[in-house]
Amino acid sequence: MSRYHLNRFLFDLKMKPGAVDQARSDLDTALSGYDLSGEEVAALKTRDPRQLRPLGAHGMLALYLMRLDSEFDDNIYWTQK
Amino acid sequence: MPFVAAVAASHAPNILLEPGAEWEEFMTLHYRMAPQAAGTKPSLEAQQKLRQDAEHAFSVLRADLESARPDVLIVVANDQFVNFFFDNIPTFFVTLADEVRGQFTRHRFHYRNHADLGRAVLKAGVDAGLDLSFGEDIELQHTQLVPLHFLLPEPEIPILPIFVNTWIDPLPTPARCYALGRLIREVADAAPERVAMLATGGLSHFPGSPRIGEIDTTFDEGLLEQMRAGQGAALADLTLEQLRQSGNTEFLNWMVTVGAVSDTPAADTFYMPDHVATGWGFASWKI
Repeated sequence: MSRYHLNRFLFDLKMKPGAVDQARSDLDTALSGYDLSGEEVAALKTRDPRQLRPLGAHGMLALYLMRLDSEFDDNIYWTQK
Repeated sequence: MPFVAAVAASHAPNILLEPGAEWEEFMTLHYRMAPQAAGTKPSLEAQQKLRQDAEHAFSVLRADLESARPDVLIVVANDQFVNFFFDNIPTFFVTLADEVRGQFTRHRFHYRNHADLGRAVLKAGVDAGLDLSFGEDIELQHTQLVPLHFLLPEPEIPILPIFVNTWIDPLPTPARCYALGRLIREVADAAPERVAMLATGGLSHFPGSPRIGEIDTTFDEGLLEQMRAGQGAALADLTLEQLRQSGNTEFLNWMVTVGAVSDTPAADTFYMPDHVATGWGFASWKI
């Protein structure tokens, strides 16, 4: 079931208003709302989307982990779905 | 009135990003996922040439569409985790909303939705043993909006978005998508409106996978050649494994349109790999 929650977290970063701000301000608290394994939490904290796919994250959702990276704050990619 | 026209086009987001700064932003993000692809990064001149070539392809498709004077445009595309999530993934989904909206960067879109045609497709599907999902609240996304920006920038006619699951296993087979296209053709031929169809997506690309950045140009060229040769029915024999291996599962959207046109040869095709992620493909059929 945790694979669902791993993808759910990424989906919320894409689609849920406020999810990005919440995760940026307190990632531990944000992740506590999802039923994630220790391995999944560790992978998410690397901020490297390529770490997620081997754990069952869908490839099209994995890149939304980069919403947490300040380097891509205003990236145009986020202005389309 | 009959089915009057069919076109198909890639929906890669960078088709609608401006060469230069917007492309650079997109690629900065993209190369974090695909650092191995950075070696083929296109120059500004190459980006501009791609955009010009894509605009030319779209201009041909748009002229073909407009000359057929459609009353409604069916848009066959895949959802990419906007309307559907693992809570509920429809294999095929017909939109029954009164209107549909979406945004792509600074571009906003608002179309009437042809729910009556959608209901006719659903009814015909049930009668034929092809049961489709349906719903009234969907958001348009790049999979529809990139081609619509070039083909139907003003909402002069209603559209009918139909979604195909192209990325979340188990996928429908190419033959099943072809059968859906045949079904829609029968409905369209019996409809009071002049019906056109747009399929979007592809061609070869591997988003979010270890193969991201690869483009199977040989396979793509073969698909377009078969369409030009009027071998639509033969394309239904493609296997999902062939589509997966060539990064072409979004060709399942195209297969619905191939079903609608069957063995009618494509009048025009265009192809340009973007050297970043995707083989941009375009086709038009005159009915």
